[in-house]
Amino acid sequence: MKRSYTPYLLLLPFFVIMALILVSIWNVLLQSLGYIPAFGLTTLTLDYYKAVFQQEEFLSALEVSLRIALQSALLATMLGVLLCYALVKRGHSKGELLYLVRLPILMPHAVVAVFVISLFSQTGLFARIAYMLGFIIDFNQFPALLYTENYGAAIAAYLWKEIPFVAYFVLALMSSISSTLGEAAENLGASPWRSFFQITLPLSLPAALKAFLIIFIFAFGGYELPFLLGTTVPKALPVQAYMAYTSPELRDRPYAMAMNGVILFLSLAMALLYALLTRKLLKQTGGRE
Amino acid sequence: MMKKWLALLLAGIMSLSGCSASKQSIDPQNASWDEIVEAAKGSTVTFYGWGGDENRNNWLNTTVAEQVKDKYDITLEVVGMDINDILAKLSGEKQANATKGSIDMIWINGENFYSAKENGLLYGPFTDKLPNMENYIDLDDPETLNDFCMPIDGYEAPYAKAQMVLFNDSAVTPETPANAAEFMEFCKKYEGKVTYPALPDFTGSAFVRNIIYDLCGWEQFQTMEADYDTVKTAIEPALDYLRQLNPYLWNQGKSFPESSTKVDAMFADGEVVMNMSYSPFSVATGIDQGIYTDTTRTFVFDNGTIGNTNYMAIAYDAPNKAGAMVVINEIISADIQLTQYAQLKELPVVATDKLSADEKAAFGAVDLGQGVLSQAELLAHRLPEMPASLVPIIEEIWLNEVVGK
Repeated sequence: MKRSYTPYLLLLPFFVIMALILVSIWNVLLQSLGYIPAFGLTTLTLDYYKAVFQQEEFLSALEVSLRIALQSALLATMLGVLLCYALVKRGHSKGELLYLVRLPILMPHAVVAVFVISLFSQTGLFARIAYMLGFIIDFNQFPALLYTENYGAAIAAYLWKEIPFVAYFVLALMSSISSTLGEAAENLGASPWRSFFQITLPLSLPAALKAFLIIFIFAFGGYELPFLLGTTVPKALPVQAYMAYTSPELRDRPYAMAMNGVILFLSLAMALLYALLTRKLLKQTGGRE
Repeated sequence: MMKKWLALLLAGIMSLSGCSASKQSIDPQNASWDEIVEAAKGSTVTFYGWGGDENRNNWLNTTVAEQVKDKYDITLEVVGMDINDILAKLSGEKQANATKGSIDMIWINGENFYSAKENGLLYGPFTDKLPNMENYIDLDDPETLNDFCMPIDGYEAPYAKAQMVLFNDSAVTPETPANAAEFMEFCKKYEGKVTYPALPDFTGSAFVRNIIYDLCGWEQFQTMEADYDTVKTAIEPALDYLRQLNPYLWNQGKSFPESSTKVDAMFADGEVVMNMSYSPFSVATGIDQGIYTDTTRTFVFDNGTIGNTNYMAIAYDAPNKAGAMVVINEIISADIQLTQYAQLKELPVVATDKLSADEKAAFGAVDLGQGVLSQAELLAHRLPEMPASLVPIIEEIWLNEVVGK
């Protein structure tokens, strides 16, 4: 009898954290509906959401964030799967090389941003080397790779971190498929590429899709990289929301919370998709993934 | 019978809790200064404010902290936090109906003071309780009465005076632009090597207001209504100017560095050839520390640059209001203001005519260092700040109308 409590007891810290998160989400939603008694706002209304969706800055911020998320998730997934395949083929699905792959995953985003700035800015390491070698005579001539409107530097920084993540995430599944079904196909005469595209890749796709969703949510809600490496306008949505949040006009708080609400809803939708995908996969594979 | 016991018990609990409450804290509003000092003895005061200036942190943690420890047995705990985050934290506490928060003193001014006071995040009025207000501060100075045109009403005490200055390296750039038109020529000559921090950065925002003053005059803004279209119409010439300036700026004005700290680093690196600061003697400090070259020098526009005072306030739910008042009183003393002037090179807030002959001599003897303008030179070129409520509007207009346009 006593034993049956143990799992719940062990889960207690999780429930505590979950409760805190739920309370903050509840607060965000409440405030986004204009309920902040401390500032004399007490009527529930959807006006803030409506107003936010008419703001040009918000719409372009939403577009920027969706673009960053989509581009980095797509590229990271494709290149990550390729990296994973290379690792499997070269027999590196275990061992030292994997530590190297894991390194970028462990690196905090802000640190990656500092790397990017010190390497690629117009006074960064590469610009200095180009100057030393006489390719440019002034720092200005080095191409401006950072702070551009296409958020290329932020996307590149995400890729540096997420390609290894995808490879690592897909590795277990792909190596088991490749070593069984993939090799079987090759023994039956399929070329290595055909075996990859027709057997290994389709069967690994579910894991790759899940990795895609994780990266998408993360990059969509990410603050540091677009803030440190992005341009002044348009801002990424989390940066825009934070700026609204810290506006000295406290009665504008509901606008910031409405932006957070949008981030929240989109992230929840993605999480739901993830859950559906997992359930579907469980059915397909009969429980073994 | 039962009821009687219960009532007695309740009365007992109530009197107990009442007792302990009165022991722990006094109401500074009705207490004498001696009682406030007595209540503050042995307590800890937290001081929240921007922590980006290492010299200031150092000065607070040593000079100020030691003095309040020695004189009043108060432990000063300095917490570096951006004012936006401080206000967010305070308003969070307010929403939770907290009566006892975690912040005692706040370094604040301008639009943040305006908003914090409007929303009841500050404690006060309290400055009439501080003996040193009377002893050292000019109580009729407009900057003692108003902060960015907002009446202070005793909710904050002056901390230091600041003034916008521009600076560059005479070995790299012989020119010192004396107005907006010359500044444009300067940017054309050093194409791609001038920029300013993206608004709402404090320094960037002040610089843009300075350009507005230079092109549109400053008087009309003192009484202007805080309305987007009104402000936009008034500053249209400046917006035009800033848009024309963009192509000659760093990154063609498509983007601006996200903070003044970033521009400082870019200037030290030579990526930009001009910099600006709201700390009028920052060049001397920079030369002293070897960050700036010896040939770096400060200049201001002929029509003047914006000056303001920054202040210390107390949080509405400060756990140690008495202690905060004692520390604030100490910081506005001639003693501490002198160390602030000498060590941090910040303009003091004390009124010269309230100082003793010795104190005057001590202030006069401070060596400000290289590359700076004298106090008299600065004060002769000092323009008042705008109403705080206009500042966020200008920041919004800048984002909409200037960046990348």
